[in-house]
Amino acid sequence: MLRVALIGTYVALFALVGVGVRALAEVGDHRGYRPAQPIEFSHRLHAGDTHIPCLYCHYGALRSPHAGIPAASVCMNCHGLLSRQTAEIEKLRESVLQVRPIEWVKVHNLPDFVHFDHSRHVHAGVACQNCHGAVEGMSRVEQRMPLTMGWCLNCHESRGVGDHGARTDCIRCHY
Amino acid sequence: MTTEMKSQPVYWKSLEELRQDSRRTVSDRDEFAEPLPWKRASPVMPAADGHSRRDFLTLMGFTLGAAGCSRATTQHALPFVTAPEDLTPGVPNWYASTCGGCSTSCSVLVKVRDGRPIKIEGNAEAPLFGGGTCATGQATVLSLYDGARLKGPLWRGAPAAWQEIDERIESHLRATMARRGRVALLSGTITSPTTRDLIARWSQHYDRFQHVVHDPVSYAGIRRAHQTCFNRAVIPHYRFDRAAMIVGVEADFLGTWLSPVEFTAQYARRRRPAASMAHHVQFESTMTLTGANADVRHALAPSEIGRLVLSLLDRVEQRDRSRVDPPYSIPASALDAIANRLRSHRGESLVVCGVQDEAVQTIVAGLNDVLGNVGRTFGLSPSSLQKQGDEGEVAALIAAMRRGEIDALILYGVNPAYDHPDSDAFLEGLARVPLSVSFADRVDETAAHVHAVCPDHHYLEAWGDAEPVTGVFSLMQPAINPLFDTRAAPGSLLKWLGEPSNWRNELRSYWQRNLFPLQSAERDFDAFWDSRVQAGFLRVPVPPQPSPAFVGDLDAAVNRIREDAHAASRGADEYELHLYETVALRDGRNANNPWLQELPDPISRLTWGHGLAIAPAAADRLGVRDGEIVTLIADAHRVDVPIWRQPGQSANTVSIAFGYGRTHAGPVGNGVGVNAVPLLRQKSGRRSRVVRLEKTGRSTTLAATQTHHSTEGRPVVREATLKSFLGGVGEHGAAAESLPSLWAEHQPGSHTWGLAIDLNACTGCSACVVACQAENNVPVVGKEEVGRSREMHWIRIDRYYQGAEAAPDVLFQPVMCQHCANAPCETVCPVLATVHSADGINEQVYNRCIGTRYCENNCPYKVRRFNWFRYANNPRFDFNMNSALGTMVLNPDVVVRSRGVMEKCSLCVQRIQAGKTAAALSGKAIVDGQIQTACQQACPAKAIVFGDAQDPRSAFARLRQSPRHYHLLDELGTRPGVGYLTKIRNREA
Repeated sequence: MLRVALIGTYVALFALVGVGVRALAEVGDHRGYRPAQPIEFSHRLHAGDTHIPCLYCHYGALRSPHAGIPAASVCMNCHGLLSRQTAEIEKLRESVLQVRPIEWVKVHNLPDFVHFDHSRHVHAGVACQNCHGAVEGMSRVEQRMPLTMGWCLNCHESRGVGDHGARTDCIRCHY
Repeated sequence: MTTEMKSQPVYWKSLEELRQDSRRTVSDRDEFAEPLPWKRASPVMPAADGHSRRDFLTLMGFTLGAAGCSRATTQHALPFVTAPEDLTPGVPNWYASTCGGCSTSCSVLVKVRDGRPIKIEGNAEAPLFGGGTCATGQATVLSLYDGARLKGPLWRGAPAAWQEIDERIESHLRATMARRGRVALLSGTITSPTTRDLIARWSQHYDRFQHVVHDPVSYAGIRRAHQTCFNRAVIPHYRFDRAAMIVGVEADFLGTWLSPVEFTAQYARRRRPAASMAHHVQFESTMTLTGANADVRHALAPSEIGRLVLSLLDRVEQRDRSRVDPPYSIPASALDAIANRLRSHRGESLVVCGVQDEAVQTIVAGLNDVLGNVGRTFGLSPSSLQKQGDEGEVAALIAAMRRGEIDALILYGVNPAYDHPDSDAFLEGLARVPLSVSFADRVDETAAHVHAVCPDHHYLEAWGDAEPVTGVFSLMQPAINPLFDTRAAPGSLLKWLGEPSNWRNELRSYWQRNLFPLQSAERDFDAFWDSRVQAGFLRVPVPPQPSPAFVGDLDAAVNRIREDAHAASRGADEYELHLYETVALRDGRNANNPWLQELPDPISRLTWGHGLAIAPAAADRLGVRDGEIVTLIADAHRVDVPIWRQPGQSANTVSIAFGYGRTHAGPVGNGVGVNAVPLLRQKSGRRSRVVRLEKTGRSTTLAATQTHHSTEGRPVVREATLKSFLGGVGEHGAAAESLPSLWAEHQPGSHTWGLAIDLNACTGCSACVVACQAENNVPVVGKEEVGRSREMHWIRIDRYYQGAEAAPDVLFQPVMCQHCANAPCETVCPVLATVHSADGINEQVYNRCIGTRYCENNCPYKVRRFNWFRYANNPRFDFNMNSALGTMVLNPDVVVRSRGVMEKCSLCVQRIQAGKTAAALSGKAIVDGQIQTACQQACPAKAIVFGDAQDPRSAFARLRQSPRHYHLLDELGTRPGVGYLTKIRNREA
């Protein structure tokens, strides 16, 4: 009886450790994060069906470390002229009329101690889809890539970014 | 090693060290100040406080379990509703403006991120100031986000609307003018030509309007003397770079006198070690920055300055006009040598004096005239407009106020209830003024007693202009919308004058009428205006005027000084009192700025307070030590102040700094130090200020830096004489590079960054310290923590004395992380939080650091700083990181470190990254000088040079090849990336 109890305890313990270790390994990996947004903006419609280039709205990616989310005025460039109205577009118009910014939920979050520079990567020819997945197919934006440090370094190693020593300089991203 | 090195002078940092004070040597021997709290559980394994390993593991088990259950918090991104054209989040914008930290009006560039100014830098393209800044200027960006600022106007102490206040003031002014009452504007020095024009229009509008200017530190004596001597009531524009021989008399021109940023830039240019190197002699009562940098320094009492200038005049003129004895403390032979040197540099010398006695200034003007300096090393046209105060007019105004003759008083940029010697009389008079208005940005000592407070904008929120030197104009433009309901003070003056305009239009109109016609580069005014606002300055050619003849009455001045010398007497136990400005607090207007309160004074190394500087020998006679409180008894005032023994202080003179003892500055500045200004009150007719000291038996702690960190007798600062340097003696070769190393060489990347610091150019002004703090989000820790040696500055200016207590030489050395190739810190980090980059930077990775502090222990330069607390959002450290307003100053490119993390100079890696990004985006290679560290950019003397050692044409690489170049503690084999250039003194021996 005691032996069964003991074996059971060991099995439970191992299962717990396995789950715990697995959970720990996934700390920081937010794949599948697909939060609801204040406006149900569909990239599938805009970037996919209508083929609007990523950099039209996210122009910050060209010249700044932050790609940025476009101001409502960028949306109104088109939606100020279009006649088709939906409830979601109405929300956009409300925000513009009341001069109240839309509180988008950031999907791709890096910790504060990481400095990621979009402009360097865009300038180097890295496609947006590389890190953000096939956004043009997403009706709601979802994080597809792990965005963990190891995942970043894999790409840097395989593409041979920078001189060998500099590739793994901590201070490139952590300062 | 050369002969220079063998006969090493002994450098000491404090009197305790020099005198081998028993308290001091114990701490030198024992590394740990207090016994370690070992509780011996067993002879082999000590356990502290009864905790055992079992408890530790239990705790760890909990946290391990908890770690797996973490969820990241939701983050939001709020874009603009309408995106501004010129603002890209993440990319800074730069605006040219004029610093409003004091009346010197240096040209600056303001770095703005997301609509918030976060950094001030000098405008290198503007004339005069050389692209540097001072410590005060660097700190002004924080005073924009000062929580003590008024959020809106006040009427009789209660918030009121602008319209209501305007109506009250305008109706009162109308009534006053109708019955021919007197209206007075009491202001600080106003360098803005548009504002002065506006004030002139007030005078035209109403003949009983009067404008009186009050400077807390007066320069009126210089103006009056030049009026009688040259018929020009101006303060000259000085050119130290044109002088081969500089004699400074009680004028701290490198630290606080008139235009220190400009003078430092000029001085540094002329002090390069070559045959043309200027020789600098300084006469002063207390040790100042300028005296510390002089080749020859003589300490003398304030009462002896008259006799000093007379002795010099006699010797230079080579006739015995004055027939006075030279000051006791200065040997006649020394004066002969100085006079001879002056005479040998006709037209290339400069004598400056900060004493406001008109007779003394007349003699100094006469000296300069005899030496042929007028129009050469100093000019009356162009002249300086940076100080316009007249204490005589202020005294007359106060008297009129007390008699009830002033019917309306406007106070603009002044705080006489704090910084005027007769503050009591002023307040009495203020109470009799029916309408008093202040433009102060807070309820300061004066604004607490006025009817209306109409807070002015901070200069970063304001339009404005300045003319610091005639013919040089600079503009001020807002870098942020006004944070509070404030209004530009000139705009208020305009409104109350009844003119239908706004201040910005007024500015444009003035420039269009008066300055636009003086140039021909632009034909269209709007294009001209846009180009000037963008550049920040306009230089208008001033037609050269012949130097006026000297018509001063030297004999009368001589007689006046002789009379004063006879009248001045001092009892045996009396001391002469001398007041001076520190580089951190100046006249006290920025007392609520925590960066400035925590800035260690370059000479005394004191923070968060001041002491009464007294000569060590005098302190011994009195039987007092540092920190002991004495009562300073002056004519009409007495105050308790702690003693600070100052090597080099004139015997029988005590000095105390302005700027302290504020009561209405704000939570940071209130109660720090004592107000020295009332000591200037004179009840009797005596001319010299004489005080007595009485011991109180009480003590206080003074928070000084640099009492810790011992050099242990190693040669960290090096100096040589010009003669030996030019003669080739004293070469510092690359001795250490030949030392064998245990470590393999680093593989260099495409750059090898480093710094070269010229000890000859560095004056110790500490602008770099504040610049680094602003750039890198370095926290303020407060007086108590500084007292525990926990100040967080990444760069410090070490100050070393050499020689006798009574008259030491002083050297400054900025020290930051040396970025050693064989870094002792890198090898001992158990988690590799500090490693070496391929670019030559010693990296500190905050997120890896677990706070063992082994690296801090192992660093021989003691440049690592540990975050003992979480300084941000912590009510215990209620400075600039504990409020939403204060944190607006933080640089978003630099992480704010948490508790338990080590930090240190990163060579401004964020600026290096920005430079590399700019190069990558533009496709061009990095140009030397394109990337500047914050300390380098701030330095008015350009003493710090950052660069790439792999670029042989860079300024940095060339400095490394200089024979003066050496590394700190070479012999340890650390191979630092930071190098120093030996200080050269222009002396024979």
